[in-house]
Amino acid sequence: MRLHTASETISFAKELENKLAKFYEDLAKRYAKDGDVFLSFAKENRKNVVQIERAYYGVITDAIEGCFAFDINPDEYIFETALAEKASYSDALDKAVEMEEKIIKFYSDAAEQSKSLMADVPRAFRMVAEKRNNRKLKLRSLPGKEG
Amino acid sequence: MAILEEPIKEVRTLKNYINGEWSESKSEQILNIVNPATQKTLAQVPMSTKDEVNAAVEAAKEAFPEWRRTTPLARARCLFRLKELLEENFEELSRVQTVEHGKTIDESRGETRRGIEMVEVATGIPSLMMGYNLEDIASGIDEYVVYQPLGVFCNIAPFNFPFMVPLWFSPFALATGNTFVVKPSPRDPISQVKLAELVDEAGFPPGVYNVVHGGADAASVLLEHPDIKGVTFVGTTEIGKNIVYKKCGETGKRAIVQTAAKNFLVVMPDANIEGSIPALMTSFFGNTGQRCLSGANLVIVGDDAFYNKLLEAFVDTASKIRVGYGLDESIQMGPMQSIDGKERVTGYIEKGIEEGAKLILDGRKPKIIGDYPDTCFLNPTVFEGVTPDMIIGREEIFGPVASVMRAENLDAAIEMANSSNFGNADSIFTASGKAAREFQYRIESGNVGINIGIVAPMAFFPFGGMKDSFFGSLHGQGRDAIRFFTESKVVIQRWL
Repeated sequence: MRLHTASETISFAKELENKLAKFYEDLAKRYAKDGDVFLSFAKENRKNVVQIERAYYGVITDAIEGCFAFDINPDEYIFETALAEKASYSDALDKAVEMEEKIIKFYSDAAEQSKSLMADVPRAFRMVAEKRNNRKLKLRSLPGKEG
Repeated sequence: MAILEEPIKEVRTLKNYINGEWSESKSEQILNIVNPATQKTLAQVPMSTKDEVNAAVEAAKEAFPEWRRTTPLARARCLFRLKELLEENFEELSRVQTVEHGKTIDESRGETRRGIEMVEVATGIPSLMMGYNLEDIASGIDEYVVYQPLGVFCNIAPFNFPFMVPLWFSPFALATGNTFVVKPSPRDPISQVKLAELVDEAGFPPGVYNVVHGGADAASVLLEHPDIKGVTFVGTTEIGKNIVYKKCGETGKRAIVQTAAKNFLVVMPDANIEGSIPALMTSFFGNTGQRCLSGANLVIVGDDAFYNKLLEAFVDTASKIRVGYGLDESIQMGPMQSIDGKERVTGYIEKGIEEGAKLILDGRKPKIIGDYPDTCFLNPTVFEGVTPDMIIGREEIFGPVASVMRAENLDAAIEMANSSNFGNADSIFTASGKAAREFQYRIESGNVGINIGIVAPMAFFPFGGMKDSFFGSLHGQGRDAIRFFTESKVVIQRWL
């Protein structure tokens, strides 16, 4: 089912962020060496939720096209966070990058579609997408071996 | 997508909030408040007695002298506390609106935000209420003007924006030092009860803000009451013009009377169709068409190719609107607020067919997402070949019905719109600044949109309205509201 309303799109973003936060928290336990990095990512994911919700609640008025702002196929952005039991550290990092790319695409597409929702919502989406680009670089810079 | 949790857990009889106390009505006339989507009873509301309405006005009158002497800054601080409480209770307030009115959760959140914005703007009262002066109007003589509150004001509220509409007025009335009585719509008064609970928590002194439930009888008591200095009303033209405005004239009350509409949305051949469709959908079908800013007549200017392209996109999108329970986040349009409202709309659809308009999208047999009774539901409806003289082209339907018209050029479109008795909100969709300027200049409408579907003025601008859409001099919101709720007093002074 495609997403059309602002509220379901925000809920979907929240779901992705929370799922990914849980993934990083699990990663922090599994690979203690870079635990701090992963925990900081998880914390940032929760902050992203606050930032996006704040933008949405701040500009959702009876005048904007909140119920008609999006046409998003969530299947294009959904990811599975489960890691195979024997997954290596490199596999885990690759998986993380793959998920980050999906979520960047989601925010970029959603920002493009939500231009009519005043500036704040697409701006928040773009900011979160940009932060994720930095995160991708960070993930790629981590040594691909188990600590 | 999951359904959000319902905010009301038990059915209770609503109380009046008078003089800082919650009191049960002695009335034996009680109405059920029903969730229009599920048909579950949410609460019961009393039709308060004349004595109870009088008690609310008396409390407000008693509270006025001290509230008036409270400094503007201290009054603003009460509003700041209210604003914080509204933010804390944002989601609950929004969900209450969805269950009592039927609107989608996005629409309810929008309504909550609009209401809060009124409070935010009113907190600027120390600056907003300043007068002005001039030294030496004659040698050694100065003159200045001060703005003073008048006493008790009231709001007779409509059902379509149960939370927001009273807030178009009350924050400005309270900020300027007046006291206030709200009579919510008896159809959906629960969010006003919740608001009064927060007003109470915010620490406004007893009697400054009062809520009394009731219908036409309670409204009549307010209109007749000699201690009410001004009335704010939002509702039908029939009642607003013939009863409220007339009665205010007879009794010497100030009045802001916002009434019905028949809004024209003109789409020029250079308009961006793809970019305009969400705005058009929101305008015609948002809030299930139950708002005075809704689009009613879609006037398409241009040749057959443009007309067909726009109409196809409009009807195609309208036919796919997800209709259902507003607490489902995927829903784009909720039910009508009441079965009476639905019957009125279906009556207009039948009239449209009888008049010879072509029904190209029929919403009378609604497709509903989820397992809900169809009691109050309709789907979007579109008529083609409507003319401004048809009943469906000239009367307010107040439901999800779009009447499509054609105009040869901009002049003809403006003429069609200006032939309406109403003048609330008209819009043009165009890429041409010249066409937009011409439209803005000539259209007889209080709120004008340029590539905007719902022309809802922000809290710091007045909410306009002309012709049979507004009766009064000053409008609600913004500087107009400050002037409405104050008397200007001129002082000329000389020290000998």
